Amino acid sequence: MKKKIIISLILTLVIILLSVCIGSQTISPLHTFSILGNKLFQIPLNSGISDNEVAIVWQLRLPRVLLAFFVGGALAASGTVVQSVLRNPLASPFTLGVSSGASLGAGLIIISGLSLSGIGIFTLPLVGLIFGLATVFGSVLLASKIDPNMSNNTIVLTGMVFSLFINALLQALTALFRENLESIVLWQMGSFALKGWKYVGGILPFFLIGIIGLMFYVREMDILTFGEEQAKAAGVETEKVKWILLGLTGILTGSAVAFAGVIGFLDLIAPHVVRKIFGSSHRYVLPMSIFFGGIFMVIADLISRTLVPSSEIPVSVISALIGAPFFAYVFFKKEKVRNS
Amino acid sequence: MLEVKHISCGYQDAKIVNDISFSLNRGEILCIIGPNGCGKTTLLRGITDLLPYEGSVTLDQQEIRTMKRREISQKIALMAQVSSATYFSYTVYEAVALGRYAHQKSRFGTLSTEDKEFVDHCMEEVNLMEIKDKPITQLSGGQMQRVFLAKALAQDPELILLDEPTNHLDIRHQLELLEFLKVWSSENRRGVIGVLHDLNMVRDFADKVLLMKAGRMVAYGGSNTIFEGDALEETYGIDIKAWMKSLLEKW
Repeated sequence: MKKKIIISLILTLVIILLSVCIGSQTISPLHTFSILGNKLFQIPLNSGISDNEVAIVWQLRLPRVLLAFFVGGALAASGTVVQSVLRNPLASPFTLGVSSGASLGAGLIIISGLSLSGIGIFTLPLVGLIFGLATVFGSVLLASKIDPNMSNNTIVLTGMVFSLFINALLQALTALFRENLESIVLWQMGSFALKGWKYVGGILPFFLIGIIGLMFYVREMDILTFGEEQAKAAGVETEKVKWILLGLTGILTGSAVAFAGVIGFLDLIAPHVVRKIFGSSHRYVLPMSIFFGGIFMVIADLISRTLVPSSEIPVSVISALIGAPFFAYVFFKKEKVRNS
Repeated sequence: MLEVKHISCGYQDAKIVNDISFSLNRGEILCIIGPNGCGKTTLLRGITDLLPYEGSVTLDQQEIRTMKRREISQKIALMAQVSSATYFSYTVYEAVALGRYAHQKSRFGTLSTEDKEFVDHCMEEVNLMEIKDKPITQLSGGQMQRVFLAKALAQDPELILLDEPTNHLDIRHQLELLEFLKVWSSENRRGVIGVLHDLNMVRDFADKVLLMKAGRMVAYGGSNTIFEGDALEETYGIDIKAWMKSLLEKW
């Protein structure tokens, strides 16, 4: 286990560094190191590094890679939690309506062109996050009113009801305001382009609150996978814990969607892949899914910006395109092992 | 140790269990019997406040309803019916160790040395040591049942409730399990309440028997009194004694 974790951490660092090097203009790892050393620890720059290279690494690539890493990590961690809490390997945070809520919020901002004074460019992410959270809160609240035990099926169903309803609202809006159709669709497809350090700083607090909060509940997640009644009998206050866990995943997924768009799939597959490698215990699965989701998203973004020169393929498309075969491969491999 | 007075409980508006009273002393084994759907499992749920109940349930003079889940779980363990296979492939050891939850102090899932020793001890008690590292997704029904028992024992409870604990077990393992519980309760002066279907096993295993029909108590008392009376025949609608005897003659 220790070995696997150390390898994953090294792999994470290597991939982050490589993604900073590679792009429309490739920068040698040595130069990249020197630029990072200079910016982080005030080590003098190596000779022969142009200002242009410094700007690409520090202003463009590094914040972009970090944003992708946080978004991927947040989505994967939320997926892990939702699947365990609902005991449903097909569930994902999007089941609860986070993304439809956030999309509706973002759509409203795009259509109205509203920019709140004081927060400026953060108006859209903030409103998106609030709408996403409100949707999760609404659907869980409805579930708890219908069914005081908050059973998993009720939560999944109310989540779907909310998602479908809110999606329809957004579609009605886009149909009415066709001139914004393109911006809304492009926003939903997701992108990390030109977002800069401000966005990294914007998502970081939500990421930290969500992740640290979840780490306090790893045992409860383990116990909840054995079902409601067993969890209660083992001493877990299940209703309270479900509220907390779904709230924290709402913060994580909501902020990821609000800052980067609707990037699906990763939240569904990451937990499965990580459990294959690290077992089921959430002490390992939760942190490792952050790393897995993070590097997956960094790679997806790398492909999205380099595959077609001077153009970008939406990152949500890339993550599904590489994610689906990868997921199939992981599962096919497992079957072979079991059969032999 | 356990006093149940006029308990009624059920789901939403439907009362399943009506006005049942009984008591259990330390070192005693009580079996709950009755036809399918008569409310045996619901009664177990009521006793642990997994379902809200009316009436009174006290463990060592403390009303269960007023206790926190964690406090209840430190004293009462429930070994539920083994449900369908789980997707989550915990190892046997990890699954059993989750039983320590109510006693654990660390928030991050690390077990203290005493916790670890106790988990090992529980695994040894039910012969799980050889499959300690096996994923629970690959276990047979009987092995899974022993995992759930070890998990319940790991709670170190004063009272253990078992819902059809011998369901998936072959005859030898059934006898071993019941024998183990008998020794466990008498040596540690703790209580056992079990829902069992096999009346032969009940007769041999139980100190007290509670017979239920349609959510109500039909008879309650020492094992011998219940089995000597006519209540069984009336409840199940067949002459159980005559049938058992005719079966034995075939042996």
